[in-house]
Amino acid sequence: MWLNTLRLEKWVIKLIDLILIVLGLILVIIGVFCDFVGAIGLIRLPNFFTRLHAATVGAIGGAVIPMLGAALIALGYEPLGETRFILAGVAFTTSLITMVLAQAGSHALARAAYRARAAPLQPIIYDALSEKNEKGEKQSI
Amino acid sequence: MIFRCLLIMIYDFVMSLLGVLLILYVISFTLYLVRVFKGPTIPDRVLAIDSLGYDLAAFMVILSVYLKSPLIAICALSLSLWIFVLDIYVAKYLEAREMGD
Repeated sequence: MWLNTLRLEKWVIKLIDLILIVLGLILVIIGVFCDFVGAIGLIRLPNFFTRLHAATVGAIGGAVIPMLGAALIALGYEPLGETRFILAGVAFTTSLITMVLAQAGSHALARAAYRARAAPLQPIIYDALSEKNEKGEKQSI
Repeated sequence: MIFRCLLIMIYDFVMSLLGVLLILYVISFTLYLVRVFKGPTIPDRVLAIDSLGYDLAAFMVILSVYLKSPLIAICALSLSLWIFVLDIYVAKYLEAREMGD
């Protein structure tokens, strides 16, 4: 009954809860699909720098979107009682934090792996960064 | 009255569907663990653990909705922060060959 302050009819509140639950469920199903795509890509791709793409699909599509869906489900699911606000707030905060930190972490890891030559570059077509470094400019990634 | 019965049926359906989705999440965790154990270099393993940790945080949030308890979701917040710290530490180790002070 978190919409009581608007003084709506009872069935309007139930309808809003239902719409929230259906939207959240759709987001969680999209998240599970992206999770499988990321896992299969992480196994099948040949190289560390191509696996970064699959890992980011698994982090953003597989973690941020289902957390938003879980927040919507928790807001609309009435038998939770008062804990629905705690759940929705924590899920929303965690999704925002993950959306910022996943890209920063994978970028830092890729930069370190390129500069330390810790991962092989082997299935490669064109490396613009090495040409730029050979020209004597400051190393700038 | 009919609307209330329909709503209860929809709640049961949503909870059973969330159970199926949680099982699918566990299956994808095993697929991530393949790369964690097989990865030839250190950045591969760290990248796989990175994705695994973020998905584990999402799994914990959905599990706390499924079990109707907010205690598990609070752990997910600190888990996603620790995964970022792991990334930064490994990147610093790979570049400078030291863990830093």
